[in-house]
Amino acid sequence: MAAPTPPSKTPDRHYDFRSLNVVFALSSLALLAVTLFMVMGDFGRPWKRYQSEFRDLERAAILKELEAERQSLNQDQIATVNSEIAAERQRLEERRGEIDSLESDIVAFDREIFGSDAAMRATKSELDAQKYVYDSALQRGEEDSITEERETVASLTSTWMDERRTVQELETERDAVEGELEEAHSALTASEAKLNDLNAALSGLDVRLETVAKDIDYFMLNAPLMDFLQPTLRIEQVVLSGLFHDINFTTIDRVDRCQTCHIASGRTGYDGEEWEEPFRSHPRLDLFVNDGSPHPYSQFGCTACHGGLDRATDFARAGHTPVAEEQLHEWTAGLGWERQKFLETPIHALPFAEAGCLSCHADQVWTPESHTADTGRKLILKMGCYGCHKIDFEAFTDLPKVGPDLRKVASKTNSAWATKWIRAPREFRQTTWMPHFFYGENIKGAENEAFQEAEIASIVDLLWESSETVSYNPVRAGNAARGEALFNSIGCTGCHVIDGEGSREDYLDNLERLHGPNLIGVGSKVSAEWLFAWLKDPKQYRPDTPMPNLRLEDQEAEDLTAYLMGQRNPAWEGLAREPASSVARGRLVLEYLQATMTIEQSEARLAEMSDEEQSLFLGRQSVSKYGCFGCHTIAGFEETKPIGVELTEEASKPTHLLDFGHVHEVEHTRNDWIRTKVQRPRIWDQGKELVKNFGELYRMPNFGMSDREADAVTTIVLGFTKESVIEQRKAGNSPLTPTLAAGRKIVSHYNCQGCHLIEGAGRAIRTAMEDDSNLPPNLSAQGARTQADWLFGFLHDPSSVQLRPWLKVRMPTFDFSDEQANGLISYFAALEETVPFASDPEPADPRSLGVGTEIFAMLQCARCHPAGEDALADLGGGTADLAPSLLLGPERLRHDWVASWIKDPQGWVPGTRMPTNFPVLPDGSFSSPLPNVIDTPPFADAKRSMMRHFDSDAELEEFLGDVDRVSEALRDYIWSL
Amino acid sequence: MKNAKIGFGLSTLLLLALVGCGGGDSSAPAPAADAPPPAPPVDLSQTGSLAGVVTFSNGDDPDIVIKMDADPVCAGLHSGPVESETRLADGSNLANVFVYVKSGLEGSFNAPAEPASLNQEGCLYTPRVSGIMVGQTLKVVNTDPTLHNVHAVPSNNPEFNQAQPFQGMELERVFESSEVMIPFKCDVHPWMQSYVAVLDHPFFGVSGTNGSFSIEGIPAGTYTVEAWHELFGTQTSEVTIGAGDSTDVAFSFGG
Repeated sequence: MAAPTPPSKTPDRHYDFRSLNVVFALSSLALLAVTLFMVMGDFGRPWKRYQSEFRDLERAAILKELEAERQSLNQDQIATVNSEIAAERQRLEERRGEIDSLESDIVAFDREIFGSDAAMRATKSELDAQKYVYDSALQRGEEDSITEERETVASLTSTWMDERRTVQELETERDAVEGELEEAHSALTASEAKLNDLNAALSGLDVRLETVAKDIDYFMLNAPLMDFLQPTLRIEQVVLSGLFHDINFTTIDRVDRCQTCHIASGRTGYDGEEWEEPFRSHPRLDLFVNDGSPHPYSQFGCTACHGGLDRATDFARAGHTPVAEEQLHEWTAGLGWERQKFLETPIHALPFAEAGCLSCHADQVWTPESHTADTGRKLILKMGCYGCHKIDFEAFTDLPKVGPDLRKVASKTNSAWATKWIRAPREFRQTTWMPHFFYGENIKGAENEAFQEAEIASIVDLLWESSETVSYNPVRAGNAARGEALFNSIGCTGCHVIDGEGSREDYLDNLERLHGPNLIGVGSKVSAEWLFAWLKDPKQYRPDTPMPNLRLEDQEAEDLTAYLMGQRNPAWEGLAREPASSVARGRLVLEYLQATMTIEQSEARLAEMSDEEQSLFLGRQSVSKYGCFGCHTIAGFEETKPIGVELTEEASKPTHLLDFGHVHEVEHTRNDWIRTKVQRPRIWDQGKELVKNFGELYRMPNFGMSDREADAVTTIVLGFTKESVIEQRKAGNSPLTPTLAAGRKIVSHYNCQGCHLIEGAGRAIRTAMEDDSNLPPNLSAQGARTQADWLFGFLHDPSSVQLRPWLKVRMPTFDFSDEQANGLISYFAALEETVPFASDPEPADPRSLGVGTEIFAMLQCARCHPAGEDALADLGGGTADLAPSLLLGPERLRHDWVASWIKDPQGWVPGTRMPTNFPVLPDGSFSSPLPNVIDTPPFADAKRSMMRHFDSDAELEEFLGDVDRVSEALRDYIWSL
Repeated sequence: MKNAKIGFGLSTLLLLALVGCGGGDSSAPAPAADAPPPAPPVDLSQTGSLAGVVTFSNGDDPDIVIKMDADPVCAGLHSGPVESETRLADGSNLANVFVYVKSGLEGSFNAPAEPASLNQEGCLYTPRVSGIMVGQTLKVVNTDPTLHNVHAVPSNNPEFNQAQPFQGMELERVFESSEVMIPFKCDVHPWMQSYVAVLDHPFFGVSGTNGSFSIEGIPAGTYTVEAWHELFGTQTSEVTIGAGDSTDVAFSFGG
């Protein structure tokens, strides 16, 4: 027998428990660590810190408010009320026995009522059943039982009525006792209510304090691992269907989470100094975020306007953009900020924030309230960017060229002036919009300068060669002093300045005043004969000029010519016109020829060309190269396509497609590129002297933009995106938008806002006027105010009516087409949300007319309004200086508007000289002063006359006390004139 | 509900203890922020006064006569020619200069309960230059038998334009913001003009025809005092007022 073998040392498993235990232990520890790490990572997310911090801040603020509220509470009053309460309690205590007995009476009554009520209900159901039995007997016609059943019904009815009466009597008695009890407590209840009222603000704050407390609930609900249930710190998000986020090849709805950290952005009151971002209220809650505003958070969120990554809850990932170097360093160090290279739409930096408006408002021409973007729009129109760059937005399409028509230039000025002007326009006139094409920062070396001079000379040669010559009649000498007075009073200053000192920056908030050229030095530029003819009729020189006809008498035009021709610039006149080098010209011509010919052929061709031929050839090439025809009509280039890159989606271009050249001093972001480009258009050629030859250098001209101008232009260009928004969300969704847009384009093109206040903006001429009483009219409410037929006639020929004879400023004749006049009329109507044509008024009620006739005299309306030829005579002529003649009313004004105007003129046109006749009551409503004076002796005749229409004094007084009827009566009188 | 939440909270604590994880930092709620002490009441026992004369260095005082012919009623209210008060100067002194403490005051001051008045009398505003306090009622009266319109064109307060066609009509207004000056005009009679200053304290005065003005009861301290004239603009002066003292300050305007 074999000895028992010892247990085998080799285990029956292929793994070792002991070592596996170690592995399990280690991996479970690792798993635990990872889990904890994950939990803590989630717990420590930065937005939670913001929410917690906000809670602390808010709590402190509420406590402060509570303290202030307590301070302001009238302690004496509270003490008095408290002692009243105590005294009342005392008194009740003294009457305890009486009150107890009343209370027990009520209990007894209730018990009794319950019993009686139950009995009554039982009887009632018995009665109902009996009625059925009786009814059935009738149905069956059982004569004998009918009588019996009828008697039972009658007896039950009487029982029921008795029981009902008992219940009602008991209830009345019980109510009386309750009344007594209430009466006893009434003083106490009243005092307690008073105390509550006094403390109302405090208790409101207490409730609010509770919501921001950091109590045990708060910590439990937000504790790690527990915070998935019902945390109070949580991501706040809004799903914005209809606003899309482009994620390459598809779009998804935006989901904005900004309010997770910007907690108070939609609440009012977080704008004091103690509140810092991200805890401040939005600065314009009247326009944004608030539910009542035009852009509620629930529909528009934040990123639709601001840009940024909608779903991000991390400061850096959201795409915040620092405003300045300093902020960049602060953010990088303090908030772990870094530029999001792969985020195509970072948040617009603050100076460019209004770029966001264009996503929805681009087809409205301008966006009300967006001042920076609108300044950008005006600058693009003034500088004529759209001449070279197609910008397919309503505001920038179908526009006439921005610069003068050069097809008759030789009869306007001289070629020496033109040469110096093209070389450096801002040296003649600082405020000009014509940019510098030559001597840019990328033109270096004598050779390149010689090339430029050759180009300038040949462009002038070409213009003069192709110009038509018009011969103007000689002008009689005018009186310059009278001309100056005329210039400053008839309205020239709405579009022109004469300013040798100021820069464009000085006019940035009144750009309308630079609509036409600054006329400083104009005497050194144009001939007197041309100027006189131009002033008399601008359209003879340029048919599509926005310059209107001021209907000047010959004498007036001569005086103005004398004044303007006196504006000379002797230094400029003395400047020599550099002769251009024919060698440089030859080399440029050769280079252009070589584009289509062999070297040998082109050299032979050049040799054949005369000086004049060379110059005209180079002139044509240069006009094409610089795209002069983008802004000027030039013979031979009428149909040539513009030379610039289309800008319609410029701001959707990925940053890597923007050419920064070798420039590193500029941050490589989209807004830095655009802003640098518009201010220093040729900077990207830096360091490329050997790489590019003269013809390959950047050609975009320099507009000499100030920082504010560059910011404004950058803002609007940043709004040129391919943003996708569903139609319903677009501002242009309104059926009125095309009408508004068409009207705004006319207003902008003819610079109506240079003189008039329209949509609350404009009247730039005010800055040039000493006396506000000569200001052109405020056109607020124009659509509600005038009749379409009248306005149509007036726009076509403003001289047809002497509306405000006291104004020296003159509404010019613009030669509007019917389409333009109708466009303006519809635009004004659309602004008032009304239709342009009003229906004919009903004939006036004789009573209203009778009262109106008398009130018109009582209120002394004729003291300002001439109401007839004789009224003028009565007042010694002074009346004509104050208000329009009422004889024009019925044909000019809208019948449905006049009464409302008479009632509240300031409400329609703030600042008007027309006063309201009706004192305003503290609640904002109007009251009539007439009933108070109607019985005074001066108005006895008036009263007698009015009483013909009334049966009693009371009836008359009621009529005179009704502001609306009085206003309508006045209107009816005016319509009868 | 509250109990449920606490119970839930306790179980969480237990769970946390088991997991052995410390949880979040349970910092105590922030202590209540101290409310700022209310503005100290002005100690009116420590006050002084300010007085002076406004001189007019350009003695030229043209008599500007108002032409009231446009409204015969106005012309009929005066027996002789009416001189404009625009540049009312008595030899070398200038009237209608508004002098007030512009800055340096602390504390708040209650507006007087009685209204200030502005009258339209003889087709002129009286007084031409005056001051009121924020919250004080301004009563504008028309004592003329003709139409006036009270047209105030403030910058910081709401504009209003109210006709007063009947003799004896009154209107009352309260201004909520301080403003130097609010021009009042009457569009019917373009020569009528008045200036009303609205201040949040009572320390102002207007120079009389002899050019003198005085302001009483100013708390002791150092202030910037400004003098305003409708044609000649403003001038400022630093003054220190001691308790019980009467301080002199002189302003001189030139034409």
